[in-house]
Amino acid sequence: MTLCAMVPLFKEIYAFRDLLWILVARNLKIRYKRSVLGFLWTFLNPVFMIIIYSIFLKILKSFDPSDPIFLQKLVTGIIVWQFLSMCTGDALHAVLGNANLVKKTSFPRIILPLSTVLANMVNFLFVLPILVIFLVVTHAFTISDVSILPLIIITQFALCLGLSLILSGMNLFFRDTEHLMGAVMLAWFFLSPIIYDFARIPERFQRLAMLNPMCGIVTGYRAAFLGTDLMAPRLVGLSLLVSWLVLVLGVVLFQRWQVNFGDKL
Amino acid sequence: MSEPATIIDVRDVSKCFRLRQQRGESTIKAMAVDILRGRTKTRDFWALRDVTFAVRQGETVGIIGSNGAGKSTLLSLISRTTNPTSGTIETTGKVSSLLELGAGFHPDLTGRENVFLYGAIMGLSRAQMAARFDQIVEFAEMADWIDEPVKHYSSGMYVRLAFSVAVEVDPDILIIDEVLAVGDAAFQRKCIGRIKEFKRKGKTLLVVSHDLGTIHKISDQLILMEKGQIIAAGDPDAVVAEYQWLSREKSRTAESKEWGTGEVKIERARFLNEAGEETQELTRGKQLQVQIDYSTQSRIATPVFGFAVQTASGTLVYGNNSQIDGFDIPFVEGQGSVCLTFESLELLAGAYLFSFSVHSADHQTNYHRLDNALPINVTSAERYEGLCHMPVRWGVGK
Repeated sequence: MTLCAMVPLFKEIYAFRDLLWILVARNLKIRYKRSVLGFLWTFLNPVFMIIIYSIFLKILKSFDPSDPIFLQKLVTGIIVWQFLSMCTGDALHAVLGNANLVKKTSFPRIILPLSTVLANMVNFLFVLPILVIFLVVTHAFTISDVSILPLIIITQFALCLGLSLILSGMNLFFRDTEHLMGAVMLAWFFLSPIIYDFARIPERFQRLAMLNPMCGIVTGYRAAFLGTDLMAPRLVGLSLLVSWLVLVLGVVLFQRWQVNFGDKL
Repeated sequence: MSEPATIIDVRDVSKCFRLRQQRGESTIKAMAVDILRGRTKTRDFWALRDVTFAVRQGETVGIIGSNGAGKSTLLSLISRTTNPTSGTIETTGKVSSLLELGAGFHPDLTGRENVFLYGAIMGLSRAQMAARFDQIVEFAEMADWIDEPVKHYSSGMYVRLAFSVAVEVDPDILIIDEVLAVGDAAFQRKCIGRIKEFKRKGKTLLVVSHDLGTIHKISDQLILMEKGQIIAAGDPDAVVAEYQWLSREKSRTAESKEWGTGEVKIERARFLNEAGEETQELTRGKQLQVQIDYSTQSRIATPVFGFAVQTASGTLVYGNNSQIDGFDIPFVEGQGSVCLTFESLELLAGAYLFSFSVHSADHQTNYHRLDNALPINVTSAERYEGLCHMPVRWGVGK
């Protein structure tokens, strides 16, 4: 599929933008309507993770123990990771959970995973200021590479959308996706520099690690907020490129699969 | 005036479902089982085969047929919720469909939220939907419930709201699958009123229903489907007759039975029209002759020939025999026939089954009885209600 083939898709999505917003609002509403603490959960989950990891990492020494902003790096990493892991989790049911809509009505199916990713994006954008406040209060916030922040956010969005498209479609044809996901996400978590610094990866593996899009994304966020070294910008660029390739792959696969969604549900 | 444009064009459409012999989802477990067993056992099921038809702007087309004939599959293809295995479907304009109960409502959202969700699926903006909202709620008579989650709705409420939304989004083509049967009689009447209004606006309607009366009333054209194929299409009267004929044929083979001593045997029975031609179709009010051919092994004295007319659902319409009518048959021997004449057949439109019997005058011996042996299709220009015509005279008093 060339980029030209994407244009009608964009047009289609634009034509159904009202549906997209309704679905985004619905996703947010359904998630928070049912629980007493509502939006706080978006915030409390990473807080628990951070507390647990900060204790264990002190013992494990995965960050440089003398690093004064080790906690801030960890918090940034976990919050960034949470956006991804919530997207992939929701993606599994983006199409499956809307069987009613898919079987009974006609609209561009891509709206479904797109709406779950956008809902999580909204969540993430609400959490980001809280992260910034935390970094400011702890005197770790440094205005240096903030200019790259929009690029990093959009790139992470592309990665999340690409993965969501693949997962939401795949889960229909291959129901084990749901179970495999847990293990894959756990491995990915530890392979990404979230509870450690990218610099701690042995040099000979660093090139390979940069193929992991989360390496570039997490390193990018840290550079933007904490003024840490962007490492080799070219390598970060490479892992950002991978994110966009995942998106293209996701769109191509999803559009190919969606023809049969109605029969699979 | 030129012919209205074709708005739904279905060409050579086939739909095949691949059925797994073992029901289940595609998982590693299922794959491993398949590998261990050798080949994957799948079976192709053709829900539709080479279906071609066209609907013109402003037409109302009804689709009838027995369960599993492919009606709903066809509607879901035209609504584009599934894709055909082969063939093409072209539709012009906005299609709004009510496929079964549900219509894409989300159980956790309120009626109000679902109305806007459906509007958005139909490509209407929030403002356009807001402008129609009050009318939708009013038509559905849902004012007290609109802010409740739809999972608390009764099925009648569900379908009322779904119908109101589907009509109110102002589609060019409205597709309705069997949903009208759910509402109560009052709401059904309201729906039919709304459908007629919809037709007046020159919109196109595609309806699937088992309610022959309703679908006959509202359709300009009927399509009869059987086993994934169109077997009749066109004038509603003719297609309904064909359908009733078909279901009679089916029930006849299923229900037709015979028994008796066989001393007198009914070899054949046939219907003859005024001109003496064999027929299985008649217009109400015309003369009908029934010729019953019998054969005997020996001479049988004072046999009684009888007949009964039943509807497809088994309601007895009329029964009579030669004894009741005081027509004495002294004896029968060898081969011969008994003739029965309805000077004016007063059955109303529909399909009926004739049963025949021959027994002894004292009713002790049943020689031969043929149940539901002969079907006849009656057509009628008048729209009377019920089973048979009763001539009446109207008058006006002071």
